[in-house]
Amino acid sequence: MLGYISRRVLATIPVMAVVGLFVFSLLYLSPGDPAAIIAGDQATPADIERIRASLGLDRPFLVRFGEWAWRILHGDLGISIFTNLPVTTMIGQRVEPTVSLMCVTLVFAIVVAVPLGVLAAWKAGSLIDRMVMGLAVAGFSVPVFVVGYILAYVFALQLNWLPVQGYTPLSQGLWPWLSNLILPSVTLGLVYIALIARVTRATMLDVLSQDYVRTARAKGLAQHNVLFVHALKNAAVPIVTVIGIGIALLIGGAVVTETVFAIPGLGRLTVDAILRRDYPVIQGVVLLFSFIYVLVNLAIDLFYTILDPRIRY
Amino acid sequence: MDRRTFLKTSAALGAAGLAAPRLATPALAQNAKVLRFVPQSNLANFDPVWGTQYVVRNAGAMVWDMLYGVDANLKPQRQMVGSEEMSPDGLTWTFKLRPGLKFHDGEPVLAKDVVASLNRWMARDPIGVMIKAIQDELAAVDDTTFRWRLRKPFPKLLFALGKTNVPGAFIMPERIAKTDPFTQITEYVGSGPMKFLKNEWVPGARAAFETFKDYKPRDEPASWLAGGKRMLIDRVEWVIMPDAATASAALQNGEVDWWENPIPDLVPLLRKNKDIRVDIADPLGNVGSFRMNHLLPPFDNPKIRQAVLVGMNQEDYMRAIVGDDEALWKPLPGFFTPGTPLYSEAGGAKVGKGDIETAKKMLKEAGYKGEKVVCVVAQDQPITKAQGDITADLLKQIGFNVDFVATDWGTVGTRRASKAPIAQGGWNMFHTWHAGADAINPAGYPAVRANGDKAWFGWPTVPGVESGIAEWFDAPDEASEKAAIDKTNAAALDGVVYAPTGFFLGYQAWRKNVEGIVKGPLPFVWGVSKA
Repeated sequence: MLGYISRRVLATIPVMAVVGLFVFSLLYLSPGDPAAIIAGDQATPADIERIRASLGLDRPFLVRFGEWAWRILHGDLGISIFTNLPVTTMIGQRVEPTVSLMCVTLVFAIVVAVPLGVLAAWKAGSLIDRMVMGLAVAGFSVPVFVVGYILAYVFALQLNWLPVQGYTPLSQGLWPWLSNLILPSVTLGLVYIALIARVTRATMLDVLSQDYVRTARAKGLAQHNVLFVHALKNAAVPIVTVIGIGIALLIGGAVVTETVFAIPGLGRLTVDAILRRDYPVIQGVVLLFSFIYVLVNLAIDLFYTILDPRIRY
Repeated sequence: MDRRTFLKTSAALGAAGLAAPRLATPALAQNAKVLRFVPQSNLANFDPVWGTQYVVRNAGAMVWDMLYGVDANLKPQRQMVGSEEMSPDGLTWTFKLRPGLKFHDGEPVLAKDVVASLNRWMARDPIGVMIKAIQDELAAVDDTTFRWRLRKPFPKLLFALGKTNVPGAFIMPERIAKTDPFTQITEYVGSGPMKFLKNEWVPGARAAFETFKDYKPRDEPASWLAGGKRMLIDRVEWVIMPDAATASAALQNGEVDWWENPIPDLVPLLRKNKDIRVDIADPLGNVGSFRMNHLLPPFDNPKIRQAVLVGMNQEDYMRAIVGDDEALWKPLPGFFTPGTPLYSEAGGAKVGKGDIETAKKMLKEAGYKGEKVVCVVAQDQPITKAQGDITADLLKQIGFNVDFVATDWGTVGTRRASKAPIAQGGWNMFHTWHAGADAINPAGYPAVRANGDKAWFGWPTVPGVESGIAEWFDAPDEASEKAAIDKTNAAALDGVVYAPTGFFLGYQAWRKNVEGIVKGPLPFVWGVSKA
């Protein structure tokens, strides 16, 4: 197992290198010039050129890439072109809101989606099943920002139960922290709930038709035992896989959700950086997301061994 | 590792991960009066000379003071300066700082700080460049006096030092002002009425400012950048909200106090809320614009540019930008801000009336050969997108072969700087808008210049415009200034330096427990109180 983990961790290095090269090349080739944006409307071409030179953007691709890669190897993601702050500082400022949003969304989605999927499988073909699947389709179909606006209108503006926007750090108390995250998490979680509920249902349907389930029922086990102890445990591997894959969905959805609820997270940092062509920030954030995604996949693979003792690495 | 151990470990790691990184959170006095403000955009950098965005200027005006300040009558008034003296030949200016000026680090403001700050500003500001070109010497005489010797009189000197246009002539300590003007400063020490709290700055999310207790306001009443900047609140927090609907909801919910630029679509909703007041933000408004590339066919032909000007209907543009609110726009047969002393309609009789038939005829007579017109339109800016859609339709109606390039503002910003032919990434047309505060005269208005290679994007060459502007700079009185601007306006319309799409205003909105908000080209926090 340790050997497997070591190999997988080592394998992240070439993955990150490819991601780094890809992101750097993409930004190099994409149109847009941060120097022109900084210089503003009144700048002369000479001004823009001087700013470009002061930012080091006038140097050849390979020189810039080499310097950037060398800094990355030393744990330095560079300095933001616009804010003049270290990219690590900017990411550090934004990590907590995004991690909080993703964790609360994840917990909320799993707690809601798995029972719903089990229920739909158990009552397959019934009205309950159709309602759950209808909700899943709606969850997939309705854009995140529409859900966000509706929830904010109802629960913040009309009922005044929750704040419209913003983020309060966990250090200022559990409820202030959570109150800012409930609406965004529900908003972001709906797509995720739809995905997990559908996969749970499909997997459970398959498992529930297995002989050992019939045997469990024949033994007179209570329905909830059959569903959640026998069937769900054996259906867990595909569900966990989807949860892992869905982390990418969460990262993408966080961009919109953070904008709608004015949460100062990594999603907004990414969008702002892209619109301004703040290359060091874009590169740093994409690398971070890629790294997180690789680690999540590793964690999911390891989790399989806990869910299914037959799986060994 | 068994399942229970794994779950316990995961939970512990998760909790540690959540608890570790924290955003800086301020500890405020219980009765502190905090004004929560939603600015027009993100404060992505904080160097008002290096970064020429309006949002940087707006924040900068709280932190850095100026020698002069333009008031609501568009006249420069003394601000940091206590007195000035001009030699009879107009070539030497001697300025004395008023007593009691202090930087936020406790150091007194000295003449050497002023000299260093003006040197940095002159390298980046178009009027500053003009002054530098005729400057003989700028030097500190003693701690509170500095002298400016010019080779030619420059009647607009005080206006240049107090103007609202970016970059403003903000005064910084010498050690900071010596930073290369093309490199961003890293220390934010000013002598203005508010201190910038760097440790609370999260670009893209928030910025905070705290009242500077040692600031000594002037005795005169405040008027825009002039007069006594008296702070009636303890702290200003900027909350960045990229989404208008969220800002609207936050204002209605009382989570913020003042929103700088509500979009017209949401204004009726805000007006219905008894706790919110809505009013025009800036009486100087904005001038809509689309610029044609004078270097490339077909717009290298002035008759073709004139055909576009005759065919365009400014009402279409304005309704696309501000909707059906009649109070928010007016036609603009010229380039200068309506309601200001230099406003001119000279030469504008046929502009923007939407005469498509005449435009078609003019296009035919001009010999248009069906060249492709590359219209580059930023879709991420509502104003440019609205104008771009109208223009595309207009050009097709007139008979142009339109290539509509939908892109983002960052790309437009780069592409418009290209003088290359179309096949090599050039362009024929892009849209933008200009702050009315910039368009009150030619001083801070590069978009109206027509000096060829040195002109703004599109690089128009119209000698009549340049001679008119030169006359304005040298004009000794208001009547001569007006005559010069009439000449400039007529020449600029004849040569179609750019196509003005109309004049439009914007709203601001605030909670009714906030008092003292004035209309102006930037949000002035002095004089604003919160119950």
